[in-house]
Amino acid sequence: MPVIEVRDLVKKFGEQIILNGVNLDIYEGDLKVVMGSSGSGKSTLLRCLNRLEEPSGGRIVFRGENIMGADVDVRALRQSIGFVFQQFALYRHLSVLENVTLALRKLKKLSAAEAKHKALAELERLNMASHAGKYPSQLSGGQKQRVAIARALAMDPAVVFFDEPTSALDPLMTREVADMMNRLHDEGVTMLCVTHDLKLAGQISDKVVFLDKGIVRAEASIATLSQNHDDERIRAFFAREADY
Amino acid sequence: MSFLDIVIQLGRGLGYTLLVTLCCSVTGVLVGLIIACIRRIGFYWLRPLLDAYAYVFRGIPVLVLLFIVYFGFPSIGLKVTPLLAMVLSLGLISAAYLSEVFRGALNSVDADEILAAEAMGLSRLQVFNCIELPQMLRFSLPGMINEFTTVLKYSPFAYTVGIPEITKQAMTLSAATLHGVEIYFAVGVLYFLIFRILLFAVQLIEKRYRIPGLVLKQRSNI
Repeated sequence: MPVIEVRDLVKKFGEQIILNGVNLDIYEGDLKVVMGSSGSGKSTLLRCLNRLEEPSGGRIVFRGENIMGADVDVRALRQSIGFVFQQFALYRHLSVLENVTLALRKLKKLSAAEAKHKALAELERLNMASHAGKYPSQLSGGQKQRVAIARALAMDPAVVFFDEPTSALDPLMTREVADMMNRLHDEGVTMLCVTHDLKLAGQISDKVVFLDKGIVRAEASIATLSQNHDDERIRAFFAREADY
Repeated sequence: MSFLDIVIQLGRGLGYTLLVTLCCSVTGVLVGLIIACIRRIGFYWLRPLLDAYAYVFRGIPVLVLLFIVYFGFPSIGLKVTPLLAMVLSLGLISAAYLSEVFRGALNSVDADEILAAEAMGLSRLQVFNCIELPQMLRFSLPGMINEFTTVLKYSPFAYTVGIPEITKQAMTLSAATLHGVEIYFAVGVLYFLIFRILLFAVQLIEKRYRIPGLVLKQRSNI
């Protein structure tokens, strides 16, 4: 049974159709990469899956349960989905440690000591434990993103979403984040990553889902997609991204 | 009248000035905070009312409102003490200004951080308490010190409703001693000292709660 099963997902903003029937399965232990140019609906897809956006139609099944509709406990759903953002979105008034403990204290109701223990373990996993006392503004971009990943993992989510995790990072830091994601993949963490960064995609996955104009155009290895694919939109994307 | 008498009388006035300033400032912060919070997190039907309050109270002179409250309310059967009249006029006017200060500070909280907190599964109220409020209070400190200073400098109006604060004492003393210039000079220095101490206290708070490493982006003129 997939962790997340997406069927014919539609999202409209007024007249504008952002997602036009997306189908996607994410299985346990997957590191699924969704690629596409800006405006292809990648971020909207992620936000529909944890109900930050209301889907307009279709079906989303999360661990066997339908999560569409008004009677779903959205907050419980979000607690089982980690979310890592492009701009890191660390809470700037909280230390690295407090960033990670916040949800543990407020949502899992752990004691201060338990939360600290768990948070330090997650920071250790991301090689950030020695920075626990620092504040977000004192960290580099790559370090911030690692803290954000630790923060997401601390809740023991069923899946972690990455929304363009490296587009605010230089190539070296991209490598740093990619290495971390690969390690988490080896450890069995289920991940769904949307990006238009070919470098990142190449470093973390050999198979990607190509999203364009709100539909999945192809699911194949990057090599297959980039080698003169018969789909014109895919050819155009890779020609553009390769220049970049 | 000895020098000591003058000092004692000014000291008594100083106490009233501090009392009025404190009561009106605390009222301003509390009411201003409540307004800013409600505007931010819901009660949409209350919003036009709060907007109207912030709009109208910023436009009324303190003295006019003070007289409406102190002399007007008894005529409809509401007896107000002088201090309460100050709180209901100066305090509520400063609340209107502070609610705008708080609103501006809330708008500088990074929208991404709020989204991240929601994506974690925190409730709207938890997001407000844990993310927006602590940042907002830090961002509004400069605006708050401004408003406290304004309240301090409006506090002499209290004498018009019979509170013998420092300016009133100075008027009495200058009539009794014929040393008006010296006395008003001393009073001016006293006001400045209060201001300086207030500023010092806020700077301590600012330092205590400063976010390490955070430099808010400023545009340089070079």
